[in-house]
Amino acid sequence: MSTSAAWTQQLQTIHLSDVCKSYGDYPVLKNIDAEVARGEVVVICGPSGSGKSTLIRTINRLEEINSGSITLDGQNIHAAMRTRELNLLRSRIGFVFQNFNLFPHLSVVENVAMSPIRVKGVAANVAHEKALKLLDRVGLADKARAYPGQLSGGQQQRVAIARALAMEPPVMLFDEPTSALDPEMVGEVLAVMKSLASEGMTMICVTHEMGFARDVADRIWFIDAGQILETAPPDEFFKTPRHPRAQRFLADLRH
Amino acid sequence: MINDVIAIIQDYWLLLLIGQYPNGPLGGLANTLILSALSIMLAFPVAILLALARLSKWRLLRWPVTALVYITRGVPLLMLILWSYFLVPLWTGADVPSFVTMLTTLVVYQGAFLSEVVRAGIVALGSGQMDAARALGHSSLGAMRFIILPQALYNMIPSIISTFVSTIKDTTLGYVINVPDLTFAASQVNNQLLTQPFQVFLILAVVYYAICWSLTHVANIVERRITRRRAGLSGGAAPVALVPAKIISEQL
Ligand SMILES: Nc1ncnc2c1ncn2[C@@H]1O[C@H](COP(=O)(O)OP(=O)(O)O)[C@@H](O)[C@H]1O
Ligand SMILES: [Mg+2]
Repeated sequence: MSTSAAWTQQLQTIHLSDVCKSYGDYPVLKNIDAEVARGEVVVICGPSGSGKSTLIRTINRLEEINSGSITLDGQNIHAAMRTRELNLLRSRIGFVFQNFNLFPHLSVVENVAMSPIRVKGVAANVAHEKALKLLDRVGLADKARAYPGQLSGGQQQRVAIARALAMEPPVMLFDEPTSALDPEMVGEVLAVMKSLASEGMTMICVTHEMGFARDVADRIWFIDAGQILETAPPDEFFKTPRHPRAQRFLADLRH
Repeated sequence: MINDVIAIIQDYWLLLLIGQYPNGPLGGLANTLILSALSIMLAFPVAILLALARLSKWRLLRWPVTALVYITRGVPLLMLILWSYFLVPLWTGADVPSFVTMLTTLVVYQGAFLSEVVRAGIVALGSGQMDAARALGHSSLGAMRFIILPQALYNMIPSIISTFVSTIKDTTLGYVINVPDLTFAASQVNNQLLTQPFQVFLILAVVYYAICWSLTHVANIVERRITRRRAGLSGGAAPVALVPAKIISEQL
């Protein structure tokens, strides 16, 4: 707890500067410059295949970049470093996947408690207690002993959020967290994300939920063909998008 | 016929059970069980190491192990046994007991087959599990141990058991290099009786069948228990474990 509190107290920001990445000859990210302030909620939107997932995955270095730099509180995430150091860095950046990626062989509470135990060396009983609190927070205290396969998609995604929070990350990344869900379950996941945002969590969310973007985001990044074409506060972005491709994207969404 | 079988068992049960022991080396069923158990217990960790090496990002590790697995899988086991039996003493000058030769060869051979099963199980999991583990800060070895392997091995239980069963059957080949196992004992009995090969080898077949069947049976119980635990006690919406098709069917 105390280390996490200390972390969030520091002025922490994410800086992306001139980030380029290509798969072979095909450039996926082109000269991305952007920054996220502490406590800020950024929503990334853009057409499918525009590089949103790739961009967000470079921030915890699930993807390597070809050039440029990404820093978290001044620490270069893509610098050469020992794998131990990289693992530690990754554990401070929460990541929520489109497909949940819960560990199906572990019960819900074990899913949440295992990484603090194995990665941080937290005592098992402490980690379990904490896990139960987090599950309570996402409304799933009664499912602690269940296995992921017994849960609905919305419940699984809430467990995945609790699992990420268990590492006490100062930053949370979401890659289309509601895209794999049936419509009636989208709300319960967004509600958890909203409450996180209201508590001051720094968040970067790739999502097509424009209602969420409007209500919660401080800033929208519109990305197309590997470039951030527009960054703007949501009311500005939705009312008067400047870039023609952003205008077309929003028009398509409304249909 | 049944009477013949009973008579043979009454006369030779001790030979079939423990061979010449204590006047000679331990043999018979006891030695078959020991050889099988040791082969399986050693081939299993070897297979996991080979599989991890084949999935490694370091070419220096990946390429030689891949070559080893391909060669081992592409050669008849009997040939490997004869090679180790004749060539190892020739090269090293050491007098290796045939039991050790057989054990080593079986471990390498079945380890190579089993490593393909393990590797397929890991690959079939997809990248999502590894991504999740890395995003949480797990090291690659820690992720393998606590997240990837428990799932991959569980999904592969049927194929792994098939490999174990064929390991047991393959111990019979030790006969050609005079490993004193159950097959060896049975052929000794047959040489003494001369007139009842059908009865003798019927006993042999029944015993091997019983061993292999028991192993399969125990494995099924274990698998069902894990599945039930994951499905919860309600037995409601059970997670359907993905069991890839038998990759090693060519071996059986
Ligand atoms: N591993 C990969 N190898 C090659 N191309 C990839 C790979 N991953 C993604 N791409 C390509 O990169 C582009 C951006 O992908 P992605 O970041 O997943 O887009 P988005 O999340 O916006 O839909 C797409 O054209 C996709 O086909
Ligand atoms: Mg995507």
